[in-house]
Amino acid sequence: MPDLLESTDPSRGDRALEGPLVRAPLSLVNGARIANKSESLEAKDSAAAELGPKTGPPVLFFDRVSRWYGPVIGVNGVTLELRSGITGLVGHNGSGKSTLMRLAAGHLRPDLGAVLVEGRQAWTAEAKRHVGYCPELDTYYEEMSGRRFIQCMARLSGFSRAEARSRGDEVLELVGMADRAQRPLAGYSKGMRQRIKLAQALIHDPKLLLLDEPLSGIDPIGRRESIQLFHKLAGRGKCLLISSHELEELEKLTDHVAIMAAGRIAAVGPLTQIRDLLDDHPLSIRVASDQNKVLATALLDCDDVVGLDRLPDDALLVRARNPRRFFQRLTELVISEHLEISHLESLDESTHDVLGYLLGGKS
Amino acid sequence: MTVQLLHYRAWQGAFRRPSWGVWPIARVALGSLLRRRLFWLLYAASLFLFLMFFFGGYLLDWAVTQVSQAPIKVGNVTLDTERLVRSMRQTLQVLSGNQDTFAYFFNFQGTMVMIVLALTGAVLVGNDFTFRSLPFYLSKPINRWHYILGKCLAVAVVVNLLTTLPALGLYMQHGMDEWEYFTNVAYFEESGMGRGPASWVLLLGVLGFGTILTVFLSVTLVAAASWMRRTMPLVMVWCAVFLFLHMVAVILVDGLRYNVHWRLLGLWNNLCLLGYACLGFDHETIWPAPQPSFLAAGITLGGVMLLCLTYLNQRTRAVEIVR
Amino acid sequence: MFIDLQGISRFYGKHQALRDVSLRLEKGRVGLLGPNGAGKSTLLKILMGLLPPSSGTGTVLGHDLGGDGTLLRRSIGYLPEADGLVPGMRGADYVALAGELYGMPRKQALRRAHEVLTYLDLGEARYRRLEEYSTGMKQRLKLAQALVHDPPALFLDEPTGGLDPAGRRGMLELLLTLGREHGKAILLSTHLLGDIDKVCDAVIILHEGRVLCQGDVGTLCRRRQDRYRLQIQGEPNGFLEELRIEGVEILDDNGRGGFRVRVPAGWVTRAFFILADHHGVLVRGLEPDDEDLEELFHRVIEEHQG
Repeated sequence: MPDLLESTDPSRGDRALEGPLVRAPLSLVNGARIANKSESLEAKDSAAAELGPKTGPPVLFFDRVSRWYGPVIGVNGVTLELRSGITGLVGHNGSGKSTLMRLAAGHLRPDLGAVLVEGRQAWTAEAKRHVGYCPELDTYYEEMSGRRFIQCMARLSGFSRAEARSRGDEVLELVGMADRAQRPLAGYSKGMRQRIKLAQALIHDPKLLLLDEPLSGIDPIGRRESIQLFHKLAGRGKCLLISSHELEELEKLTDHVAIMAAGRIAAVGPLTQIRDLLDDHPLSIRVASDQNKVLATALLDCDDVVGLDRLPDDALLVRARNPRRFFQRLTELVISEHLEISHLESLDESTHDVLGYLLGGKS
Repeated sequence: MTVQLLHYRAWQGAFRRPSWGVWPIARVALGSLLRRRLFWLLYAASLFLFLMFFFGGYLLDWAVTQVSQAPIKVGNVTLDTERLVRSMRQTLQVLSGNQDTFAYFFNFQGTMVMIVLALTGAVLVGNDFTFRSLPFYLSKPINRWHYILGKCLAVAVVVNLLTTLPALGLYMQHGMDEWEYFTNVAYFEESGMGRGPASWVLLLGVLGFGTILTVFLSVTLVAAASWMRRTMPLVMVWCAVFLFLHMVAVILVDGLRYNVHWRLLGLWNNLCLLGYACLGFDHETIWPAPQPSFLAAGITLGGVMLLCLTYLNQRTRAVEIVR
Repeated sequence: MFIDLQGISRFYGKHQALRDVSLRLEKGRVGLLGPNGAGKSTLLKILMGLLPPSSGTGTVLGHDLGGDGTLLRRSIGYLPEADGLVPGMRGADYVALAGELYGMPRKQALRRAHEVLTYLDLGEARYRRLEEYSTGMKQRLKLAQALVHDPPALFLDEPTGGLDPAGRRGMLELLLTLGREHGKAILLSTHLLGDIDKVCDAVIILHEGRVLCQGDVGTLCRRRQDRYRLQIQGEPNGFLEELRIEGVEILDDNGRGGFRVRVPAGWVTRAFFILADHHGVLVRGLEPDDEDLEELFHRVIEEHQG
């Protein structure tokens, strides 16, 4: 199995292993490298990591996990630690996201390595008590009402009839379906189905929530409510692993992402940090100020700036190699030259761009 | 690949009328059916019957000459060759290409058609509903009747492949044997080989029988398949409508001596009744007697078809009920 | 004129799906937004002449909505939300079938099917059976069948549904090219505001069967001179505290260094940098916080609900 990144861009492969990345709180490229080793750096570094993993025993731990489907490899040597908070799982179709989810949910047993949930093997019943799983597929007992379905799921989780009823009402309230739960599932819109699916995952109050594409097909209003709900759950100390193709929406949720490619975890960590580490893709920054000429001259002197263009609307497009140093330099310039910045924006810092760069310009 | 090739290019040309869309719809439905091995298996099975009719005549002819030449001894018992020859000749009459031949042929082949249709309805029609292809068709500049017509056409082709086409083959065979069969309407009366008309009157009868089967079965199958979609439920509905109702009718009329109009419940019986009328049967000679009038059968079938068309009209409306 | 409707209403029995919808939109790229049950699919069906309105009149691309709609649908390429593929067919045959149904002669349809499939980068998948197609290929195939007869307008229902990020970006770029360079009028119905943001100039917001707003996105969104979006790297508390003292109002904090602030009159943006420098944080982003499509959407709906 050739390593995707190494094969597409041989120049960066070695550096990714030996370079500054190893010291960073994330593992790039090599899935076997254990993530989040240097917590101190992360804690100090940014508020951005606030919702990401914190210290303590991991809720979900993948230890060099591989899983094949016959000759096809699903995940390949994945190591991943998740603690409370929201982690986005991104990657193209077929990159192994769903396999990862199903391994964590205990539906699949790893061929190599171990998947631990709260310190127990994920496929055991004890581990499953801590896991709520929202599969991507969308097939139910169509003639059941939403409430009945949830109560059945609660009974399956081992609640007594009375408990099932009260728990069911509670989670339906939580996902905002209490008023519509009487209707049969057949008549539900996609958004309502997503919520019911979420409710059944929440029924036993698990510590770990695995949500496969929970935002697809929901209308903008429902989407906003779902995002609020996920924040609320994260606030209660739950660990959420959310996969999504809709990267803008995912960015509203979290910037702690795990990027998958060809069955491997290509990178884990806060997005800005992942971005900053991709130093053969200089960050593109759009700057506009009241004295663009002065700014341009000053920036050209800066070592970290590798390119400077004037955009049609007179703003400057700067390509900078070391973003931290660059922004520091910019701040100094603004103060010393009395510049009035009207616009400052990193153009390729989104999950989408990072994903594209990590996967070797495939997107 | 050049850049030019990958560039989007405009298209200009004259469009045809919506009715041109009917055949592509049928063609695609048939295409998906003809790809199935199951269909060809069933088709081959149904051809056995055709072959029996086709070669049966020669076989019996040969047997009659053999038997009449030498007496047959089985052990010590000598068979009554006279009787044997007589019964063989009677059977031979049925195979002589007269109205009885075609009545039997359509009746037996009809059973095969019913089985084939029940098993293939899901492929021909039901899949559009299970795979939600209906919006694909209806968003095109055709209206829903073009769609329904296209689907009916596909079923019609299947029905004709199984019935009318082999029947015409039989007709040709007998004509090739005896040229007079083609030219003389009173061929059977003169030759004493059977009863009923020959020549073009019989040909029209065969085509008429085929048309009746085609029209009725295609409309009902399209309706049933768009209702049930999947093969198993479709087979069950099909059996219920044609087999169960038929049995009820037989029990009521033949067993309990109810009014003869109860026989109208048996849709297959009605179809055959009309077909026999086309082949020129006298009403009184149709077995099992008594039978309801041709008109009553026609009205019943028409009513069922109207019901099916109303349902199809509803089913293919672009409206999805807002929940 | 692309779409011109006057007072269109539509009932399903007692349920009113559309209430007095009037639209005037020039040819261009139009987004259709609305929560579930807003009447989007009903509106699409009426615009395609598949459903007669209960009352009201209108024209789409100059075709009257009163007729049987076949002429109207000939000038529209429609990409349905459902897969709607005919299993067992090959890609090229499927697109050619669409062409024939649009009224193209068979040979023309086949030729054109190959051309469109190549354009949409499905050249190698042309002869494969539809059940072997991936989601991304299916969406492009659906676009191909909508483009086969080179219609002046495209109606797209969730064209990026189920696509992965790369596929989605590709699809949106295709649509933008088709609209901008090949002059196709586009009506894009979706739940993803980002799609509309990327492709469309104009937007229709539909809610409970009413048109809440229609027109150019740029003019509908409010300009806000006194608001900024800040992106900070580092520990923000000291910085924020100082901002508050200076009279800056923190409107929103996404918990990851992203803030929306309202500044007092006479504020200079340099002050952000000075304060940041003072507290050891970095300003990584500074943008005027004009209303975006999402805010517009939620504002319009909240205003409607009172």
